Amino acid sequence: MNDTSIIGKSTRRVDTTAKATGEAHFSADLYLPRMLVGKVLRSPHPHARIVRVDTTKAEKLPGVKAVVTGRDSTGEKWGVFRYTQDMQFLPADKVRYIGEEVAAVAAVDADTALEALALIEVEYEELPAYFTVHEAMKRGAVLIHDAFADNINIHVKIDVGDVEKGFKESYLVREDTFNAPEESYFQAEPYAVVAQFDNSGNLDIWSPNAGPHLKAKPLSNCLRMPLNKVRVRKITIGGAFGGRSEISPADVICSMLARKASRPVKIAYSREENTIATRQAHSMTAKIKTGVDREGRVVARDITCHMDGGAYSSTGPIAVSVPFLCMEQAYRMDNVRYNGFRIFTNKPIRGMYRTHGRAFACGIDLQLDMLGEELGIDPVTMRLRNARQVGDYTPTRSFVPSCGMTETIVKAAEASGWKEKWGKLPPFHGIGIGCNSVQTGFPMGIRGGSEAFIKFNEDGGVTVISGVVDNGQGNENMLVQITAEELGVLPEDVQLITADTEVTPSDPGSYSMCETFVGGNAVRLAAEDAKKKLFALAAKTLECDPEELVARERKIFVKGEPERSLPLAKVVRMGLSKGLSISGKGAYWPKVDPRREWVDNPTGQLSETFSFGTTIVEVKVDPDTGLVEVVHAWASQDVGYALNPRVVESQFEGGLAMGGQGGMLTEFHIFDKGRVLNATQLDYKVPLACDMPPITNIIVETHDPKGPYGAKEAGMSVAMSAAQGYAAAICNALGVWIHEFPLTPDVIVKALEEKKVKG
Amino acid sequence: MMEKPEKIRCALRINNEDYDLFISPHRTLLEVLRDELQLTGAKESCNEGACGTCTVLLDGLPVRSCLLLALEAQGREVTTIEGLAKDGKLHPVQEAFVEHHGIQCGFCSPGMILTAKALLDENPHPTEAEIRRAISGNVCRCTGYAKIVEAIKAASGKEI
Amino acid sequence: MALPPFQYVAPATVDETLALLSEYGERIKVLAGGTEITGRLKQRLVTPSHILSLKNVPGFSGIATKEGEVVIKAGTTLREVIASPLLKPAFSAIIQAAEAVAAPPIQNIATIGGNLLQNTRCLEYNQSELVRKASGLCFKTGGGTCLAVKGGNRCFSVYQGDLAPALMAFDATIKVEKKGSSRILTVCDLFSGKGESPHTLSADELVTEIHLPVPASPFASSYKKLRMRGSLDYPLASACVFLSVGDGVAREARIVLSACGPSPLSRTEAAGLLKGKALTQIDVQEVADAAARGVEAADNLVLPASYRRKMFRVLAARAIREALDDLTKAGS
Repeated sequence: MNDTSIIGKSTRRVDTTAKATGEAHFSADLYLPRMLVGKVLRSPHPHARIVRVDTTKAEKLPGVKAVVTGRDSTGEKWGVFRYTQDMQFLPADKVRYIGEEVAAVAAVDADTALEALALIEVEYEELPAYFTVHEAMKRGAVLIHDAFADNINIHVKIDVGDVEKGFKESYLVREDTFNAPEESYFQAEPYAVVAQFDNSGNLDIWSPNAGPHLKAKPLSNCLRMPLNKVRVRKITIGGAFGGRSEISPADVICSMLARKASRPVKIAYSREENTIATRQAHSMTAKIKTGVDREGRVVARDITCHMDGGAYSSTGPIAVSVPFLCMEQAYRMDNVRYNGFRIFTNKPIRGMYRTHGRAFACGIDLQLDMLGEELGIDPVTMRLRNARQVGDYTPTRSFVPSCGMTETIVKAAEASGWKEKWGKLPPFHGIGIGCNSVQTGFPMGIRGGSEAFIKFNEDGGVTVISGVVDNGQGNENMLVQITAEELGVLPEDVQLITADTEVTPSDPGSYSMCETFVGGNAVRLAAEDAKKKLFALAAKTLECDPEELVARERKIFVKGEPERSLPLAKVVRMGLSKGLSISGKGAYWPKVDPRREWVDNPTGQLSETFSFGTTIVEVKVDPDTGLVEVVHAWASQDVGYALNPRVVESQFEGGLAMGGQGGMLTEFHIFDKGRVLNATQLDYKVPLACDMPPITNIIVETHDPKGPYGAKEAGMSVAMSAAQGYAAAICNALGVWIHEFPLTPDVIVKALEEKKVKG
Repeated sequence: MMEKPEKIRCALRINNEDYDLFISPHRTLLEVLRDELQLTGAKESCNEGACGTCTVLLDGLPVRSCLLLALEAQGREVTTIEGLAKDGKLHPVQEAFVEHHGIQCGFCSPGMILTAKALLDENPHPTEAEIRRAISGNVCRCTGYAKIVEAIKAASGKEI
Repeated sequence: MALPPFQYVAPATVDETLALLSEYGERIKVLAGGTEITGRLKQRLVTPSHILSLKNVPGFSGIATKEGEVVIKAGTTLREVIASPLLKPAFSAIIQAAEAVAAPPIQNIATIGGNLLQNTRCLEYNQSELVRKASGLCFKTGGGTCLAVKGGNRCFSVYQGDLAPALMAFDATIKVEKKGSSRILTVCDLFSGKGESPHTLSADELVTEIHLPVPASPFASSYKKLRMRGSLDYPLASACVFLSVGDGVAREARIVLSACGPSPLSRTEAAGLLKGKALTQIDVQEVADAAARGVEAADNLVLPASYRRKMFRVLAARAIREALDDLTKAGS
């Protein structure tokens, strides 16, 4: 990309001024006239039949305007796939985890609502509850969901090539098991919903979401309303990180209360509710067997993964598959087998998380280091020899149209001084590398495409209408930059109407890293469409070919002859005066294999393209306390093209903090019989400013043939490779391989003690 | 059912404006700012003083408004994020956060910006270590703090 | 989660305060900085009918010297403690401890008295009503079992205040007042050793002053706090050392370990190993090991007891070394 004036520049984001002044409204910041406060009653039992719910006393309390229970539910069971429809919002039969919703009230203020909750009587009949995958799968265990034998929710099976033959032909084979407990998102904004019905039965609903269109349909199903009456509204969102892609019980409950009370209702979750009653990340055990040749190239790999899914299916099949998919994209291998199991337990529900499967990802990379050690090959060389290349097909048959994996490895190694440091650092001072790859979306059926409209005002101002959603990563700004570049207007000329299901056309949402690729492309196509019409008009007046025209700085002019120009606003008015409406329409549907399915047919083009990245980390470990000082981190990713370099860097830095600093050093959940003991920021340790290392960002651009301006994705890959880099660096510093994550101080001290004993 | 305590008078001075309120004693300053006055810049994210999104300045010092009873703020000067910009012009710290991409989702930003402002008011040229310590009680999940620190560095020395 | 409703009183004098405490006893709770009580109220760990604010009581904060002691009013904020020229640089462990509390915004409003009097904590105890309903009662919430230590016969909740071990290392005393009388006790005697009710004060008593005897110089001190992050967190283990010298030989020595069980522990025997020794003759690790021997910890914080137990000797050694280095630098 050579001649751009706005794209590729680190322009100020269009949304951050309002956030700096406090004017930006998040869902809990909304105050509607006569709004009620909603509160949810939650199960104190991990597994129990609901025998009786008596809300009479609560309903009689002055100030209470509506009470709902499972009786008010339509009975519609929701699930992200037809074969995972297991969740009734407000269950009537039984509760399956501590914290599950049982009833809810809407009252004039919070105190009254809390008092009302205390007046609801619920009689439970406790059932045996299971808190580990082993307990849940044991013969004779009570089923958490009747339809799923042995409490196995999902089994993803992938078998490519001949793994057994591959092992036989390998020079060296290793098998290791890695595990990690659950972690969670800790988005800064706790979940909140505001719902309001108007007197035509239209529902307006605001909540932090990663896909308004993905929310609207399930809402319409659960509330038995036509889709055009369900209006998921635009609102500023305080982070998602993979956790707000699906409909939430709070959405349905709040809507039910609002409908019953005929008044707007707000439910604002506490931090604890956000942790236990939305989604968490899966805990998992990954057993990995890898065979390599003498040069360290992977010949065969066999992985079995057990993931604790919690009480409901959620995005089960996806979450089980993505760790494998990221690996098969990142590295070449002809023979690979994967058995991924998701098991129900009576714990909070798990979903997709930005660092998809830290045990899996770190296990894969640490094992490469282990094999390399035995072969006398350093980690960087191991990565280079196995790195995905452009033009490859992944084992499950996705074509890779652009790939900068090698470039990221080389550049990160160079920037970090790898050669000078590897094997030469003093004791307890280490360096490590991690590599990964992320897909830009996956087959989403009728919701996989994005459509956008662009309209013009007669003064040359522009409005873009798109379903793209911004969770804080800068997607709105991306649309403005693309539009401004294509149409030759300034960013301040562009207004956005986004993420509103009444007005904006369907879009997949920021689901699996596809907003730039799919949503960005749709807007670009809409702008191109409008530009074509403008150029056709201008060409007549300027007496040239439309092909010769360029649009920049609110003018349309002949390339190379800026004096032969027309103001864009004038061209718009010219069109209008001729009875020609000037607008643009564009749609983008990624060319993925529609037959590909997570469980039944996990083969075919998964997404049109993939990002690739490498993170190298240098650490110093205090051997007496096990505390880790991160000296420096180098984050590199092939993003295709950086539409806004500082925005891309911001994603690298945030991803590194989440996947590496937090994911590898401090973040894990503590459970006691299904109770989460560290549900808040006090005891669940997310990284702080005083602990973060200096970060060097290395953007690699391979100019993807299909991405808008060549752009792919930037939000997830570094989170994963950083986790791997941290793990590798610490193991290197200690001279010990550790198989459990995160590498908290006690784990490190124990590993050092065991090492001392051994040798 | 406990007898509901009566509402009592609470006189607050917020962003140089006086407010004469009538509230229940158990309301925190955070609740009063948001529910009574719709000054929603201060946010609730942990409700236990462990994240800083509820930060306001009390006589110029950053404090957790979720841990402060509204009644306790009487007689003190409260500054919220809404009080920083003057005549439509951003405060230099706000400007720096926008210019240097120190904001992503924005939920931690009001608290972070106020804490940064208070730091620079007291220490106009802090070292990086001093900056990181001053904001060490403000949790950001999006940025990894890198560009927040850059923004504060850029703003230092530009205070009026 | 909103706080539970309560009546609010804000007396204008210490006498009025003491009268209210006497009248309401267990039903009233004192509010100083509020950084602890507010959280406990939100979780309904305590539901008083009245909250007594000290904001209108004059003279409840401030630091001054009086008759060879540094007197710190209980309502002095930690920020004021850190900035005080009367404490810096000599009382370094106290400064270090105050700087280590949570994060600067908490220090801006939290008081030294409040920090001293904080309740003990435990992962199972400091939970919402929902989680405590799910878990059932424990010793600290009025039941007959320990949830953290299965089969445990007492409360293992942890005292995690940072100032107490430093004050103990300096042999501080506190003035406690109630209606009609007052008493002085050592900071050590403030602690009952019982997790259910960690302090020996009665409900009608108010801590008003902390007295620090000014040691015969030269002296040095050090506070070491272990936490996973560099800010915000309570200690997982902590150690504080005070050492004074005379004629090149250690004179007074105190070692206090904390964040172990329900009270900070003064390790007199181990400290005794320092007394009378030439500074260069001190075997730091031997003393640290002695100090840490037998110090209990339970699996009731975010990292396991097996780890925390190992850290007391590490922190004690580091605190002793830092105190020795300071003394050596000062040319003793």
